Amino acid sequence: MRRRPTLLWWVSAVAALLAAACDQGSGAKSRALTSIKVVIADYSKDHTRPFWQSLSEAYTKQTGIKVDLQVVDWNSIDQQVTTMIQNNQPPDVLNLNAFSSYAKDGLLHSADEVLSPRTREDFLPAFVRGGEYQGKLYGFPILSSARAFFYNRDLLARAGVAAPPRTWDELVTAARRVRALGADTIGYALPLGPEEAQAEWAIWMWNNGGDWKSGDQWADGAFQLFKDGKVGMVMGFSPLAKQLDAEGKIQYAVAEMPTNIGTAVTLAVEDYLMAFKKPGNADAVKTFLDLYYQPETITRWIRAEGFLPVTRSGLEQMRADPGLKPYLDALPSAKLAPTIDPAWDKVKLDVQQTIGLAVQPGGNPKQVLDRLQHNAAAAGGR
Amino acid sequence: MRQGAAPRAALALAGLLLGALVLSPYLVMLLAAVKPAGELRISPPRLTPIDWQWGHFADVMRDPDFLTWLRVSLVVAAASTALVLLAAVPAAYYTARHRFRGRTAFLFLVLVTQMFSPTALVVGLHREFFELDLINTYLALVLTNAAFNLAFAVWILRAFFASIPREIEEAAAVDGCGRLRVLWQIVLPVSRPGLVTALIFSFIAAWNEYIVALTLMTDPDKKPLTVGITSYVTAYVQHWNSLFAASLIAIVPVVALFALIERHLVAGLTAGSVK
Amino acid sequence: MGGPRRARRATGWQALFWLGPSLALIGGFVLYPAAQLVRASLSQFSVTGLAQGFVGLRNYTRLFRQEPLAMVVANTVVWVAVVVAVTIFLSLALAQLLGARFPGRTLVRWALIVPWAASVIMTSKLFAWIYDYYFGVLNPALQALGILSHPVDWLGDDATVMGAMIAVGVFVSLPFTTYVLLAGLQGISPDVFEAARVDGASAWRTYRSVTLPLLRPALLVATVLNIIYVFNSFPIVWTLNDRNPGFGHDTMITYMYKIAFKSSLRDVGLAAALGVVNVLLILLAVVGYLKTVRWREEAA
Repeated sequence: MRRRPTLLWWVSAVAALLAAACDQGSGAKSRALTSIKVVIADYSKDHTRPFWQSLSEAYTKQTGIKVDLQVVDWNSIDQQVTTMIQNNQPPDVLNLNAFSSYAKDGLLHSADEVLSPRTREDFLPAFVRGGEYQGKLYGFPILSSARAFFYNRDLLARAGVAAPPRTWDELVTAARRVRALGADTIGYALPLGPEEAQAEWAIWMWNNGGDWKSGDQWADGAFQLFKDGKVGMVMGFSPLAKQLDAEGKIQYAVAEMPTNIGTAVTLAVEDYLMAFKKPGNADAVKTFLDLYYQPETITRWIRAEGFLPVTRSGLEQMRADPGLKPYLDALPSAKLAPTIDPAWDKVKLDVQQTIGLAVQPGGNPKQVLDRLQHNAAAAGGR
Repeated sequence: MRQGAAPRAALALAGLLLGALVLSPYLVMLLAAVKPAGELRISPPRLTPIDWQWGHFADVMRDPDFLTWLRVSLVVAAASTALVLLAAVPAAYYTARHRFRGRTAFLFLVLVTQMFSPTALVVGLHREFFELDLINTYLALVLTNAAFNLAFAVWILRAFFASIPREIEEAAAVDGCGRLRVLWQIVLPVSRPGLVTALIFSFIAAWNEYIVALTLMTDPDKKPLTVGITSYVTAYVQHWNSLFAASLIAIVPVVALFALIERHLVAGLTAGSVK
Repeated sequence: MGGPRRARRATGWQALFWLGPSLALIGGFVLYPAAQLVRASLSQFSVTGLAQGFVGLRNYTRLFRQEPLAMVVANTVVWVAVVVAVTIFLSLALAQLLGARFPGRTLVRWALIVPWAASVIMTSKLFAWIYDYYFGVLNPALQALGILSHPVDWLGDDATVMGAMIAVGVFVSLPFTTYVLLAGLQGISPDVFEAARVDGASAWRTYRSVTLPLLRPALLVATVLNIIYVFNSFPIVWTLNDRNPGFGHDTMITYMYKIAFKSSLRDVGLAAALGVVNVLLILLAVVGYLKTVRWREEAA
C-alpha cells in the first residue's frame, strides 16, 4: 500500500494518454451550428417518434441543420436531462412538464428571442400565464390535458347508483356501494403512488375550498384498474377516454368533478417546450419552434396523442370533435398547476413520494400534511 | 463417492424439483408471452392462455427494432468480453508470477472498481464520452463494460495461473521462449477453463448492463436489448406479451453459450479456487 | 516492447507493460468517473442539475441530517445481510446436489443458469407481475395449495415488501454463487472423503469438519462478491417497490437515485455524496469481513 503514489501516477498517466488519444476528431459536431439537439418526452410509441422524426426531417430540408432527436420515456427523462445539464450539455429544445426551475437558473431563451409574434399570439392566454416566469414567457405550451371524473356505468348501475355523485358525500356513498359488490371491485381508485399523487390531491383540495399547487404525469396503476373494469370511479385525464374508446371494453361516462363548494373545479395541465440558451442557436431554434407551431402541424400531433389544444387556432379546429366537448368545456373552469413557481418542482416530488403515506393503514394524515407544508414553505423560501 | 440406485433416484428427484422451481417464474413469463393482450389482466388470473398466440414470438423476431437491439447487444457483449480477457490475462499472469511493489495495491484497486455502483458513475461517464465524442458509439459501451467486469476476470485468472506449476514455464523459458510466448503457448492452453469462466461472467454482465447504455445510447439504432425492449411498455401502449417474448428470446444466446462451455466453467472455477 | 534494458529500472516498466491495459481501463472508465463523482459531491447543484460552485463537505453534513437515512441504512443492512446469508446457505446445498451424479444433471445445470442469464430488470418486472395483488399468479397458487386463506398484497403491504424483494434477490444471486461453490467442491480431492469414511465419520460430520473448511476459498470469493453485488443491486428494489410512497423500503442505492431525480430534494450533489458514502460502506463491510475471516493467503 505504501507504493500507491506510483500506482496512481501510472493510472493517471495512462488515463491522460488515453484521453488525449481519443480526443482527436471530437468537437467538429458541436463547434459550428450544424445540428440542434431536441429532447422530447415519449407520449406514445406509435405517434411520438414518428411525428417528431418527420418534423425534424422537414426542418433539416428547410435549413440544412441536422436534428439530433432524442425521444426519452417519462421514467428516465428527469435523470437524462439532469445529467445533460450537470455535464453542461443541455439540449437546444426540451419538452417536459416543468420549466420554471430552468428559467430561474437562467438557462432558457424567453419567447422574445425564439418565437415569432404570430406564434406567440396564437397561444391561449391561460397557457401563456402558465408558462411565465417573472413576467416573461419561457415555458411554451406543447399540449394540454384536463382531469375529468370517469365512472364505470355498469358498475354504478349494478350498485344501484342512479346518477354520478355531485358532492363528496355522495362520492363516498357511491364508492361504498360499488365496493359492496365484492369480487375485488374498488369504489374509487386513488392514484396515490408516486406517479399521480399530486394531481389527485389538488382536485380534492380545490373542490373542498382549499388551494394548493399541482402538475402532471400519468399513471398506469389506478387508470389501468379502471380500464380493467375493476374500479367504479376514478379521476381520469383526457387521453384516458381515447384509450377506453380504443379498447371498447368498458361502458364509461364522464361527469363533472364532485364538489363541496358549488362550482366544480378541475385540473388542467400543460406540458412545455423550452429553448436552452446556447451560443448562436436562437435562430435555428426559432425556425424549429415555428415549424412545430404551424396550426395544422401542432393540431395533427395533439389529436394523434389524444390531448387538448393550447392555441386559439387549435381550439377552433378541435371544437368540431364532440368527444372532446366535456374537456374543452372544462378548460375555462380549470385551474392550472402552479408550474410557474420554481418551488413547485420540488413540492410536486415531495407530494408524489409522501402523500400516499397518509392513507396507508396506520398512516398519520396530519403528520404527513404538516411535513409537506413545512417542506413546501422551505422550498419556496430558498 | 459411490452411490446406490435409491439415493440416485432421490437426487434425480431433487434435481427435477430444483429445475422446476428455478424455471417456474420463466414459465409464467412464457405463458404470459403467448396470451393475447386482453388476457393479461383478467381476474382471477389464469396461468395458461385461453387463446394460445405463439405468433408473438414470430412478431418479435420480425420486428426490425428488436433485431437491431439484438445485434447491438451481441456486438457489445462479445467485444467487451474480448477486451476484458485481453486486459485481464497479462495482469493476472504478472500478479500471479511476480512479487512487486504495488501488487497488493493493484489487486485491491481492481476489487474496489467493483464497489462503485454504475448508477453513481453514469454522470461522469456521460461527461467523459461526450468530451471524447463517443456518445452513441459501440466503443463507449465496450470500454465501460470491459472496465466494470475486469475485476472478476483478473481475480479468477490470477488464482488460476498461480496454481500452474512454475516448472512447466521454466522448462519452456530454458528453450528460449520469451515471456509472451510462454504465456501464449504454455500457460493459456492449460488455463482454457479459467478463460472460459471469465468469459461467461463478462458476457452475461455486459449482456444485462442497463443504466450506462440507457444514458450513453440515445440513438434508436444503437440501443442494446435491455434498453430497447422497455419501449414495448410505455405510458400508453403496453405490449407486455411482446416484452416477455423478447426477454425470453434474449436469454437464449446466453444459455446456448453456457451449454457450449458448461464443462469448462466448472473445471475452471475449480482450479481457480483451490490452491 | 518492454524488454529489460537496465536491470534496476526494469520491473517498473515491465509491470506497466503487463498491467497497462487493465490500468488504462480502470483509470479511464472507473477512476475518472469516480473522480467526477467525488467532485460532484463537493459541489452545489440547483434542482435542474446546474452546478453552482464548490461547497466543501456541506453535502455530506446535509446527508447525515436526512431524516430517512437511518431507516434506509437499516433496510440496506437487512437487505444485504439476509440476501447474502440465505444465498450462501442455499447455494451450499445446491452445489452439493449439482456436484453429485444423477441422471439429468446437465439439464438441471442449464436450468440453473437461466436466472443469471436473464436480465435482472426483466426478472424483477416478471416478479412484480407474479406478486401482483389483482392479476398475479402467486396468490391463487398459494391459495390452491392451502398455504394462504386469503390473498396478500405482497408489494403493497409494509409487512411483506422487504420479504418479497429479498426472495427475488436470493433467486437471482443463486446461480453465480452456486457455480462458484460447486467449483470449490469439485476441487476437493475424493481421497479426503474416502479417509473420513474409513474413520467412520457420519455424513454431517464429514461435511462440517472436512468439506466446509476446504471450501473456504470459494466461500470467500462468493461472499465478498455477493456483498458488493447485492449492495449495489438497483433493479429489484426499484421495480418491486415502485408503487410504494416514501422511503420506507428503499436501500441506499435506490435512495441515492431518488435523492438525485425523484424526491423533493432533487439534488445531484447530495446524491453524489451518498454515492461516495456507499462505496466507503461497502469497502468497510468487505474489509471487515475479510478481517474477521483472516483472509491472508489469497492476497499474498
